[in-house]
Amino acid sequence: MNGASARATVHIMKDLGMTHALIIPDSESRLLFDELSADPDVMVISPAREGESIAIAAGLWVGGAHPFVIIQNTGLMEAGDALRGCGVGPRIPLRLLVGWRGYPGAQAGKLPIDSAYTYTEPLLAAWGIPSWHLMSDDDLGVIAEMDRTAAETSHPAAVVTGHRFRP
Amino acid sequence: MMERLEVLEKLAAVRTDEIVVMTMTATLQWPLVSHHPLDFDFLAFGMGHASDFGLGLALARPERKTIVLKGDGGLLMSLGSLVTLGTYGPENLVVLLLENRRYEMTGGQPLPAGPDFAALAGAAGVAGGGATGRGKVERIETLAELEAALPRILDEPGPHFVVLPVENRHPLPPVSHTDHAGRVQALRTALGVV
Repeated sequence: MNGASARATVHIMKDLGMTHALIIPDSESRLLFDELSADPDVMVISPAREGESIAIAAGLWVGGAHPFVIIQNTGLMEAGDALRGCGVGPRIPLRLLVGWRGYPGAQAGKLPIDSAYTYTEPLLAAWGIPSWHLMSDDDLGVIAEMDRTAAETSHPAAVVTGHRFRP
Repeated sequence: MMERLEVLEKLAAVRTDEIVVMTMTATLQWPLVSHHPLDFDFLAFGMGHASDFGLGLALARPERKTIVLKGDGGLLMSLGSLVTLGTYGPENLVVLLLENRRYEMTGGQPLPAGPDFAALAGAAGVAGGGATGRGKVERIETLAELEAALPRILDEPGPHFVVLPVENRHPLPPVSHTDHAGRVQALRTALGVV
């Protein structure tokens, strides 16, 4: 079944020690937003724009917290300078869940191809940010792998989600 | 209009164990008045995002205040952050906006003359807002008023957003591009995180 369970995803992130979730709602992560917002153990912060999410998460991590940034690929592109300056450059291990807008349409051969789809993985690669695909519950293990890689390399790492989260 | 270096001197005189995050030209002058392990030079960490970074720090370290020194040009780059401050700003966050109406770092090009930054912060929900519902917005015009207000600002719950109209007549020291990862590790060490 396409799409990972939002409930299982939040459960895994909490097991990994998540303290804060920086999330601006988008189509892919809508149910993840609902699940996080209903969880009393996680502080959910919805900034005005994704560059803020990155900078707030960096401050949280420097202060000893364990934030996750849930961000659509469009927001990732907007947040480029923040990601450079508050993640890649100073080697702050940001944990990113990136919604891959345009993926289902591109896989189905729908035209025109969403440019947000086209540039997502090349952009992550250009920043040297390792990434894994989370397309269904079968892939849930990649969240821990991403978290561990970020910690071990002290560098941002990302999970890319191609489908909308399910309950 | 206050002389910026004198503003920084006033702050340094009353600062104790607060984290101080500074950016742009404040990074050049703050070291003239302070050498403290909890000073953090945010220059080149992300344009316009110093107070966002400070918000994260303040949330993670509620046992002490976080003070952010940023400019009005930087605020223009992330005006939406005022809404975030008005929604989530914790009681231990103080944002001091050094308002010089110029992009001083790049040669003094003028900012748009219109924005009233205190009014913008108020309208964004900072006044009476933040996570505490006790956010405060104020504009301080003179060094005497600043000297009188700083103990209160550093003591009472915020979040605080304070507009400080400043100018600078001192020669600026050169930019120091120290290792960014090293700055991060030094602050985490000073905070006892590592």
